[in-house]
Amino acid sequence: MGYLLGMRSGPSGGRIRLAWERVRGSLLPTAAIGIWFLGVAIGVGALQRYKSSPAPEQVPPSVWPTASQLPRVADKPTLVLVAHPRCPCTRATLHELSVLMARAGARVTADVLFVRPTGVATDWEKTDLWRSAEAIPGVNVRSDEGGHEAALFHAVASGQIVLFNTAGREIFAGGITGSRGHEGDNPGLTRILTLLSNGNAESAKAPVFGCALSESRDLDKKGALARLIDDGSSRSEGRP
Amino acid sequence: MTDTNGPNATAHAAAVSRRATQLFEEHRSSVYKRADRLFARLMVAQWLFGIALAFAYSPYAWAGKQASLHVHVYAALFLGGAISSLPIVLTLRRPGSPTTRYVNAIAQVLWSALLIHLTGGRIETHFHVFGSLAFLAFYRDWRVLLVATMVVACDHLLRGIMWPESVYGIANPEWWRFLEHAWWVLFEDTILIFGMADSIREMRAIAVRQAEVEALSERLAHSEQEKSRSLDVALSDLQRSHLVVLKTEKLAALGQLAATIGHELRNPFAAVRNAASYVSRKLTGSAAPLDPKVQEFLSIIERELAVSGKIIADLLEFAREREPQLKPCPLLPLVDEAVGLVNAGRVRIDNQVPRDMPVPSLDRDQFRQVLINLIQNAVEAIPSSATNGQVIIRGELSGASGVRVSVTDNGPGIPHEASTRIFEPMFTTKTKGTGLGLAIVANMVRAHRGSIDVKSAPGNGATFIIDLPAAIPTELA
Repeated sequence: MGYLLGMRSGPSGGRIRLAWERVRGSLLPTAAIGIWFLGVAIGVGALQRYKSSPAPEQVPPSVWPTASQLPRVADKPTLVLVAHPRCPCTRATLHELSVLMARAGARVTADVLFVRPTGVATDWEKTDLWRSAEAIPGVNVRSDEGGHEAALFHAVASGQIVLFNTAGREIFAGGITGSRGHEGDNPGLTRILTLLSNGNAESAKAPVFGCALSESRDLDKKGALARLIDDGSSRSEGRP
Repeated sequence: MTDTNGPNATAHAAAVSRRATQLFEEHRSSVYKRADRLFARLMVAQWLFGIALAFAYSPYAWAGKQASLHVHVYAALFLGGAISSLPIVLTLRRPGSPTTRYVNAIAQVLWSALLIHLTGGRIETHFHVFGSLAFLAFYRDWRVLLVATMVVACDHLLRGIMWPESVYGIANPEWWRFLEHAWWVLFEDTILIFGMADSIREMRAIAVRQAEVEALSERLAHSEQEKSRSLDVALSDLQRSHLVVLKTEKLAALGQLAATIGHELRNPFAAVRNAASYVSRKLTGSAAPLDPKVQEFLSIIERELAVSGKIIADLLEFAREREPQLKPCPLLPLVDEAVGLVNAGRVRIDNQVPRDMPVPSLDRDQFRQVLINLIQNAVEAIPSSATNGQVIIRGELSGASGVRVSVTDNGPGIPHEASTRIFEPMFTTKTKGTGLGLAIVANMVRAHRGSIDVKSAPGNGATFIIDLPAAIPTELA
């Protein structure tokens, strides 16, 4: 405040210059650093918030959808992963899937469905993610033309996993990354490994982090698709 | 030999210590500035790398077959640019300041966080944190590591509270889990801080050594200057001695010439003087009246013969090289005797030699001649028109029991140009002088192993000072 008083009392340009030098010498840098730190912290926070925002939660089919063209073996639980072939976030999901298969590959059958939207070029879905999935031992990689299978499994975001037990009943639905496109320990992977090791029959969930499988906003909400799925599910109820 | 004790040694040690501290601070400042520049370049490189990584690794976010730029691209461009901006500005504007270091530490840790995000949390990218700590250790300032570690701990603490799954993989981690993550950072900090402490110790040791070397160099340079000065003095003395030798040789040649001339002229001169005396007696003794013109010429002959006789006598005296025969010789009566032989005219001559003055050993004849010449010179220096002309002769003991004799007049003084040559033979400022009187004085004083000097200010008379060394034995009268 000294410099302000100095300016008010009036006086010479020298005192004003001195006050300005003090402001420029100490207050301005401190303020600049504070603003910088606040701005960067907000930016990092926003990025973290984005990466920690899961896709809208979906109600999975309670039993294996009969309309599905996927084969299901009766002696092992079946894991279905629905993925967008170009979603960079799914790279982390495939990494976690490889971890899962390395730890419990003998106790589960895994299918990875890469959604292929209608009207895209040939082999549009044959990306590096496809090749990564193919490289995981024990994983069957398939193309899902038009997202038909994805709809049957109520998947709206890349990285959605639905795990069915040997009876064809859903025991887990969700993702296996801790945040969007982030490798590392996560609740979904831990729950699946627990289910596969102790055979717990209780259904478990985990958030899904990934790109939308369809450009239709309806897919993000429990709208027409969900109703369609519900209808399909109800038709397939009791027919594992 | 260096004095290892006492106040000089203490002052020297304090000066070396001060210089060592100054050198250490300069070195540390240069380390800070160098590290600042390194981080400024690193900030630019990380920004470019982050942008390239975002475009290569996650260029688009997809919704079905529709693509849009991924948030990572925006984050790399804008958030990365923001993180790098302030460190670069501070490095340019305030290199070496603590603020710049701490901001660099914060920014570097933030870059680790951003790169971890951009690479999808790959475990390999987490090593960036440890690499960053190693880079920050370039500052050799433990506070920088502390700031970086605090940012890491705060990041984990806040994210552990707000988004625990993203950090720990579980929804409800224990409160201390952030410490578990920070532990490895602290572990590396500890190792780096030990390394930095060693480095600082080495820097201090280097500064002390450099300060000691500088002090030694300074002493050597000072010693060299002393030697150079001594050599200059010796050279100057040698040149002076050489000039003295040349002068002495010249004087010797002149003395030889004077002796020859004096000797050769003495006999013809005696014959001429006898003849002139005879003619004068005959002419003045005759009854016939003498032509006034003849009378005048006889006077001229007589006067000029006297002058010529004086010149010949001076030449012979100057040329005579006789070692002084030193005997105790009271100064007071010797001065009285010399005064009695000088034609003083209207000038008052005052002998102020103390009666109780110790008796020096002198060659009586030579020193009387010295006194006569000096007193005569002083009398002749005073204009004949002066009514208060005075010459004072003093005697006193000088340093180390030597004897000083001085002759002072109140004449018009000696011009500075003349005073430097006044003891040279054949140099005179008088119209009728031979220029040998003072040269004879100087020769005789030198023969007594003494020295003679003149002090004069124009208009305030002159004083001739003779210093005879203590080597001339003295005894009390």
